[in-house]
Amino acid sequence: MPFNVDVAVVGWAQTPMVRRTDLSETQLLVDAITDALTPLGLTRADVDFTCLGSCDYITGQAFSFVQNLDALGAWPPKQDSHVELDGAWALYEAWLRLQHGDIEIAVVTGSGRSSTGDPSLIYPMEMDPYYLAPLGADPLTFAALQARALIDAGITSERAMAEIAVRSRQNAIGNPHAQVQGKGNVDELLAGEYVREPLRRHDLPPITDGACAMVLASAERARQLVERPAFIAGIDHRSECHNPAFRDLTDSPSTRIAGQEAGVGRAPVEIAELQAAFTHEEVLLSRALGLGPDTKVNPSGGALASNPIMATGLVRIGHAAEHIFSGGNRALAHSTSGPCLQQNLVCILEGSPS
Amino acid sequence: MVGPASKEVLVDGRAKRGHNPHGYEERTDESVIGAQRRRSEHPMTRFVESTITFPYKRSLGPVIGPFMTALTDKRLLGIRNGDQVISPPMEWDPATGADLGTDLVEVGPTGTVESWTWVPKPSAQHPLDRPFAFAFIRLDGATNRFLHAVDAGSPDMLSVGARVAPRWRGTRRGAIDDIVCFVLGETPEVDGDDAGPKESVELMDYNASITYVNPVSPTLDRTVDASAAGRLLAQECPTCGRVYAGGRGLCPVDATIFTEANDVDLPQTGTITNFVVVTPVQYPGQTETEPFARVFVLIDGYDVVLGYQPTIEVPVDDVRVGMRVSAVWASPGEDVSNASVGGNYGRLVGWIPTGEPDIDDPDLVNRIF
Repeated sequence: MPFNVDVAVVGWAQTPMVRRTDLSETQLLVDAITDALTPLGLTRADVDFTCLGSCDYITGQAFSFVQNLDALGAWPPKQDSHVELDGAWALYEAWLRLQHGDIEIAVVTGSGRSSTGDPSLIYPMEMDPYYLAPLGADPLTFAALQARALIDAGITSERAMAEIAVRSRQNAIGNPHAQVQGKGNVDELLAGEYVREPLRRHDLPPITDGACAMVLASAERARQLVERPAFIAGIDHRSECHNPAFRDLTDSPSTRIAGQEAGVGRAPVEIAELQAAFTHEEVLLSRALGLGPDTKVNPSGGALASNPIMATGLVRIGHAAEHIFSGGNRALAHSTSGPCLQQNLVCILEGSPS
Repeated sequence: MVGPASKEVLVDGRAKRGHNPHGYEERTDESVIGAQRRRSEHPMTRFVESTITFPYKRSLGPVIGPFMTALTDKRLLGIRNGDQVISPPMEWDPATGADLGTDLVEVGPTGTVESWTWVPKPSAQHPLDRPFAFAFIRLDGATNRFLHAVDAGSPDMLSVGARVAPRWRGTRRGAIDDIVCFVLGETPEVDGDDAGPKESVELMDYNASITYVNPVSPTLDRTVDASAAGRLLAQECPTCGRVYAGGRGLCPVDATIFTEANDVDLPQTGTITNFVVVTPVQYPGQTETEPFARVFVLIDGYDVVLGYQPTIEVPVDDVRVGMRVSAVWASPGEDVSNASVGGNYGRLVGWIPTGEPDIDDPDLVNRIF
């Protein structure tokens, strides 16, 4: 994909990922932004553009993101934007903004306090208001229906899903931000009760409060700031119909197209951080992206280890960038939004510019 | 948005910790890493619970309207899309966005279960208060799936391919929950006496309501506590020197987090810089009935404006820019929990004229922040 400006991730930080925090979303962001900028020798005054990803429904306040601006240090005035999406889409907007070539540094964030409300009562309100919201159609229900569709089609099985959970928990042992680590083998997990048949507890993500901040820079500035920037080699996002009842739940065409446009198949992918909040989603996403056995999936433990809504996707990009910072050549990060993987974003990070 | 409809202060938010109404499971038995104490964290954070209600009225349009109207007549409609029949009907092709017109045809009311999941612990929003299935149902004559509840009693009773029929509400209003749920078998049911169809349904009500629990910043807590003693507390930023009232936890200019060391007491007199007279529109939750003023007060000697403040004992027509005012505090024991303003200033109930001559400064009007 020809870019006007090569853009790189140069730093990122996340708050502790916990079931409930005493801190407001704004305070979480103060810490994440400070921790992302400080190691780079940057201050808030050096930032040219900011974009925040958060959700008013989760906060319970209209325009709640305006308060979050306090965490950016809004004076002197900055160019700012907001997406009612995961911070991964905030990164997409900042990447677009940097393509103009007139600015050098952007900060993007994703933040959410799921403990503020009850996820099973909040998310149905975001669904189709005529046919789905009045039924209290919740994300767990849709995830279960999609999992059954995949199992019935022979694409996965309850055992294969438990194996994904076990591997994620093992991977998460090295991740200090993981809420769920280690415990359980496949047989132990399969002995558990269904939460929503065919989903058991290990197929579900934990509920997480947390925030993530990331610093992007144009190529030249990026090389001044860090030894090995993580260059964005490809990025794309696509969406499907809002109502899962009208989609083929055994496929994710939006992921496939976004992956093709981002250039997934151009070279081997060493690691892939996928926002698979449910075990079966990892199977579907890996297929749609054409990932082979040589790609290590979710070495951080993924969204099954901690799932800070509105930041989970940006955290995936952070872990992928970390892979490049530490010498890796090519990493994939994925983020999703909406029921049953409705909208999908794919970002390819590489050690050298495109 | 209306709200907060109720506001309950929990002395210690940890009282909420045993509460788990959501479908996601608590992970307390896992290797959960505890909250690390951070520089901005307070040891005994207070939480506030509030319930927000969103009373929506939705227009149904030329396709969903007839579908909802047919529900009141215990009939289900789909819309033709080439060889397909989509139910519930959409105005546009879900894949291409093409306009589907209004070619509605009757489908169902019986159908076949294509996929299902069991809900062992229903939420307050779910159609049934006992364990049930959510299922994708292919209504007879339709080519896509229809999501609804199935009252099957036990997951053992359900399977892909099971035949189901609707259980209708006796009194139907033209909404998707006019179908209480589906039941196993070929025979539709009616719950209670059948009140019959409606003429034409063009609108639907949807009253969303959610309860939130939020932490209160320690700065706001100190501000509210000080108000009980008739003090107007503010914070002076140690980085830039600006002063903020209203319990803001950090400086919006440089993101410095405030501590108790930054507290300052403000004078309780000031000048009205600007005002608005609000003629109340009656919406759910509105308690005002007569026009009322909200004023912006510039505090004497400080670069601080308190926004959108009530006035005390001033006829609306007398409120003016330049008027000198002083703070009025609730008397001991007075309940201010339902005060229209004041949450951020605790027991500050409004501003009363001091009787001093007005300040004549045309620039005052620009100060609303």
